[in-house]
Amino acid sequence: MQWFKRHLMWGLTAWLWLPLAGAAAELAVDNAHLRLLPGELPAAGYFDLRNTGDTRHVLVGAKSAAFERVVMHESSENNGTASMKRMKQLTLAPGERVRFAPGGYHLMFMERTRPLEVGDEASVTLEFVDEQRLPVTFRVVSPTFTQEE
Amino acid sequence: MRHTLLMLLALAGLVGCSDPGWRTKDISGLMPPLAFELVNENGKTVSAEAYRGQVTLLYFGFTHCPDVCPTTLAQLAAAANELGEETQDELRVLFVSVDPARDDPETLHDYTTAFGPEFVGLTGDRAALDALTRRYHVTYGYGDKDAEGNYDVSHSSAVFAFTRDGEAQLLIRESDPRPAVVDDLQRLLARG
Repeated sequence: MQWFKRHLMWGLTAWLWLPLAGAAAELAVDNAHLRLLPGELPAAGYFDLRNTGDTRHVLVGAKSAAFERVVMHESSENNGTASMKRMKQLTLAPGERVRFAPGGYHLMFMERTRPLEVGDEASVTLEFVDEQRLPVTFRVVSPTFTQEE
Repeated sequence: MRHTLLMLLALAGLVGCSDPGWRTKDISGLMPPLAFELVNENGKTVSAEAYRGQVTLLYFGFTHCPDVCPTTLAQLAAAANELGEETQDELRVLFVSVDPARDDPETLHDYTTAFGPEFVGLTGDRAALDALTRRYHVTYGYGDKDAEGNYDVSHSSAVFAFTRDGEAQLLIRESDPRPAVVDDLQRLLARG
């Protein structure tokens, strides 16, 4: 019975991985980095996301074991005043590329569950509709990190 | 009276624009000299006079700002790094938190230390923050709290630059390329 249960579990796990394979094949992430701030201050996550498939994909959020919560945000500027708002989802049409970059879309990582240092890697799972999951490794960069265009 | 003031501002604007050398926005004569009474990272009350003799940059933000504030501060740190060590001592970046409820002196200290020795954290009560933001015609405000008590804070995105005498000189914006910012800071610092 134990043997059967274990094998049943493996079987189920394999099934759970199938949708991931579908998403991973059609989505590509480059340049994923997480900019750390001191103490418990929330960090920002940036990356380029490309839909290389021929169906649309809808990003609905992200999770990471290294943080209690991850929220999708969009910063904007209006008459010289900066603010940000929560994003529920982001649709990528076939072939579309979206940049999560300073001053625009970003992930906000809140409440670290373990110490993180510059140079570390953080595992993040991007979540799409239809239970599709895309694992991405973010490299942890310092508060003063800037990316030259 | 109001018209006289507008005329004076327009005239001052013309004077400001007559100097084509600046690569970021010249606001000399358009904004008043630096003046404030705020609390520093050590919990002590400081006024703008404490920074006379140094070129000062003034930026409003909050430490729980994941995206815009650290991006701007990192850009300023990168520009300051290009100035050379000896001039860095003569430049102060005043980060004024408009979120005093979360930004106590200790949080501000840890935050500014992450960007460099030239960064100084300041904050104050609503009256002090209102006086300073009104002085430079900028606004700030608080968003609704979420289930965990977190909230967004809106704040001005530009950086004001002041001469060693505390006179308003430049408005540096996110869109200004780094070489332009470095050039203008060098020029401000070169003035005795």
